[in-house]
Amino acid sequence: MESPPEYLPRHAELVEVPYFAQEAYQCGPASLAMSLSAAGISVTPDILKPELYVPELHGSLQVEMLAVTRRQGAIAYQLAPELEDVLREIAAGTPVIVLQNLALGLYPVWHYAVAIGYDLDNAEIILRSGPEQRQELPMKTFEYTWARSGYWAMVAMLPGKIPETAEEYSYIAAVSSLEKIGDPKNVQRSYIAALKRWPHNLSAQLGVGNTAYRLHDLAQAETAFRQAAQDHPDSVAALNNLAQTLADQARYEEALDSARRAVSLDGPLAKTAQATLADIEVKVREHTSLPAH
Amino acid sequence: MKQQYSRFMRWTSRLVMLSMLTMGLPLQPAFAGMVETDQAISHELANQDRAKINAFLDREDVLSQLQQHGVSAADAKARVYALTDDEAHKLAGKLDQLPAGGTDIIGALLFVFIVLLITDILGFTHVFPFTHPVKK
Repeated sequence: MESPPEYLPRHAELVEVPYFAQEAYQCGPASLAMSLSAAGISVTPDILKPELYVPELHGSLQVEMLAVTRRQGAIAYQLAPELEDVLREIAAGTPVIVLQNLALGLYPVWHYAVAIGYDLDNAEIILRSGPEQRQELPMKTFEYTWARSGYWAMVAMLPGKIPETAEEYSYIAAVSSLEKIGDPKNVQRSYIAALKRWPHNLSAQLGVGNTAYRLHDLAQAETAFRQAAQDHPDSVAALNNLAQTLADQARYEEALDSARRAVSLDGPLAKTAQATLADIEVKVREHTSLPAH
Repeated sequence: MKQQYSRFMRWTSRLVMLSMLTMGLPLQPAFAGMVETDQAISHELANQDRAKINAFLDREDVLSQLQQHGVSAADAKARVYALTDDEAHKLAGKLDQLPAGGTDIIGALLFVFIVLLITDILGFTHVFPFTHPVKK
């Protein structure tokens, strides 16, 4: 790096990151197992191999690395393509999975490794890489091989923890990808952590409400959606979900009010809002009309 | 041949139905009527993209370029509102490649390219064959 920022420590090394020696072509499972284990999810490359390794390719795809991380219950966050961000994550205690192309563009040799340390004075990066438990690589060489992968790098975080270099929308989007498959309680911890850092983020507020709704905690869901609707009065999603949550509690008058406001806002979610309003109107009629017999 | 095809389709559709029944349902318990978080995020991002495009359309050099092509800023903005989320994202991505100053020759060419791309997508011009004008 030409001029590393002042606040970055001159060197750092995460010696406690476990090492799994890789078998042939198994750099994906090995790297991910090291990263997940360091985060506190104990797995071995053998556990990950069936989900991750594509025999025809002799390797693992980047999207699968992210997806399998989620299936293990962790947040998969892809870093911005900056060497500085990789070093900042390491300095903050998080090992970084990097994709390198060890050969040239025409005849690529793809390789995943885990960056666990660096030394700015010696211009070196330290990797757990393939058969080497501690590979010291000149920073320049690393940058060349990493550049050829399009600077692909990711971290695996336990829910509730936010990567040092996390960008607001990328991180919250990463959390939301875990919402439909992960434990809602864990996912909610991540949304709450995100709200501590970015207090008024609409998506994180909705995420807290939606995970509470999945957990059938309608009171918490209502509080979250109310907050979202108050901070973002033009959010159809906040009003729609508030209306649905109120209707589920048979509080139809309040539900109708929110649903009508959602419908009045128009926008790409208009159809959902209209359907919610129609649904509540039906329930109101059922509720108020006298039994037929 | 036709019959083979329809038999194939029949089995495929059965397979698809079965996989939807067995896999789709358990993932989505009682979430009817709710807007999913990821859905809300993509709309929010698209709104940011639209804001970025509108800010671009407010630039003086852009305004004069638009006028040269017979487009009023108000018209252009009305069309930006009608872009799909995906289109807004693609367009905003192009804007990110634009140099801030636009004084050098490459910058100027790229600048004109972006302006024309925008007017194309908005349906005011048709310079690039690969663009699909926004339907109103």
